Amino acid sequence: MISHEVRPGRAAALARVPAFWVIAALLLAGALRMAQITGRFATAYPIATLTAVGLFALLAVPFWLLVAELDFLEREPTELLVLAFAWGGLVATSVSIQGSAALENLLAKLGSPHLAAEWGATLAGPAVEESAKTLGVVAIVLIARRQINSVLDGVVYGAMVGLGFQIAEDIVFAVGAVALAGQGDDVQPVIATFLLRGFLSGVWSHTLFGALAGAGIGYLVVRRDKPFALRLGVALLAVLGAWASHALWNSPLFSDGLGNGALALLGVILLKGLPPLLLILWWVRHAHDREADYYITQLATLRDPGLITEGEMSVLGSGSARASARRLAGERAGSAGRRAVRRLQRAQARVAVELSQGVPVASLSREPIRRQREVLRGLGHPEAIAGPRSWRHTASTIITTLVAIAVLWVALSALGGA
Amino acid sequence: MARITRRELMNLLGALAVAAALAGLAFGLPAVDRALSAERPLRSGAEVDVGAGVTVVPPAGATLDVTGTRPGGSMGSALFRIGAVQYGISVRPFDGDLDRAAAQLRQRITGNPGYQVTGAQLGVDTAGGLKGLQGGYTAPGRGGRYAVYVGDGRTIEVLISGNDLDLGRTLPQIEASTRTLRIDGAAK
Repeated sequence: MISHEVRPGRAAALARVPAFWVIAALLLAGALRMAQITGRFATAYPIATLTAVGLFALLAVPFWLLVAELDFLEREPTELLVLAFAWGGLVATSVSIQGSAALENLLAKLGSPHLAAEWGATLAGPAVEESAKTLGVVAIVLIARRQINSVLDGVVYGAMVGLGFQIAEDIVFAVGAVALAGQGDDVQPVIATFLLRGFLSGVWSHTLFGALAGAGIGYLVVRRDKPFALRLGVALLAVLGAWASHALWNSPLFSDGLGNGALALLGVILLKGLPPLLLILWWVRHAHDREADYYITQLATLRDPGLITEGEMSVLGSGSARASARRLAGERAGSAGRRAVRRLQRAQARVAVELSQGVPVASLSREPIRRQREVLRGLGHPEAIAGPRSWRHTASTIITTLVAIAVLWVALSALGGA
Repeated sequence: MARITRRELMNLLGALAVAAALAGLAFGLPAVDRALSAERPLRSGAEVDVGAGVTVVPPAGATLDVTGTRPGGSMGSALFRIGAVQYGISVRPFDGDLDRAAAQLRQRITGNPGYQVTGAQLGVDTAGGLKGLQGGYTAPGRGGRYAVYVGDGRTIEVLISGNDLDLGRTLPQIEASTRTLRIDGAAK
């Protein structure tokens, strides 16, 4: 039986939703606050601020592409992704700067300065920041409920809120490091912060925590086939999981438990970062497969090999198989073939979404598929199927992994780990 | 005039609830923080842990401001108040010499709008033999002194601020306190 949990709806025009204006006002207030902070930075350290903004904006690009690619079959509207990113970078950040400092002070007042020094970042930061970020996913649900059709949509919006937060926070930290260094408008502390927060902790940072909390909100909203208490419990557990992952990452645990050197530092990073990364990867995989199964089943009802063949159906539901099909087209028909396969896959995904929206078969967007099919036939590669695993791809994967490890090693050594 | 539907009302209430939760984080927590006193009395003559293995004996009658005090393993800070005068000490890892440490502190002071370093820098020692440099600065409506010490891979920075009258009265006690600065243990 086809699962209806992933069935998308048409997004209501944002401006007609009352919540949109409240959320817009909050975004405006956050933007003003962050503009104040950035303005102060730019006045005191113009070159360092510009470098920090440039570097971390560049870092956001691969993260954005990766998160957007997660939901290849039913892509989220760009304006909502931008809104989620802006919530993280403007609203959640400005709220957290004040809230976290106040909560840390309360720890010092109600506990002791030692407690605040040792555990302040562990307890105060995650409590305020994860709450502010999760409210961003709730805001998206309020203004575009019908766009949240699967747990994966929650993951995507949660990750985007987290990404916005991560980039804004990294810029604040980088310029803060410049101020602390006391060497004027110097970019070296920005580079060090970029290596530390971009490369070493970027993978298991706010994007990941946000994705976990977003998955919980997605589950709460979408899985109407489950009792409310269960959905609420799962959502609370996911938000708690995001908080716990963040707290573990910030905690002083293992801070001097594995010795010195780059290997020890790498060990601590893996010990603290890997468990949440594996958990969210498992959940994303599960949600992705569930969504893919639903859409592929929709396409199978068409029984039209002109639109999608059996081979293409087995490819469309998996990110690695889609990439393999594009690679094969590239090998056989050059960049034009690779481009045509990507467009064909996008067009097929659009038809799957239309089918799930109840669009009549006669009104489906067949034309873009036909156009790309013609292009592929002309190039002598009519079917977008995955190729066998090539040694070149395996070698390229190994080399990329080795380069990534080398970059990580250089970053660790440059920061004094070795 | 169009009437608001129940669905739209619930949607609006939901958004207002989100705004209220954010306000709780952004304004509620700071309000609770401000409502509780930050000052703690200190035992006269007792050492206070600044962090990273550094200790100091604060002036008699000084109170500890816990919002500016974070005695951590590898870095730390302590903030004392003597009436209206603030006496702050911070320690962090450092691999340069005393002149560089002093230059960095002066740069940070003058990086604040309206702050200027005044007069010449003088050498200063602690009772335990730590070498340091000290100087003065002015800020809008107040003046101040700074001192910086380097030892054992750490830099200890002292910032004192208040109006001229209060500073003149309390500086001898504070200078006596900075002479008690000691690196007692290893930073973590």
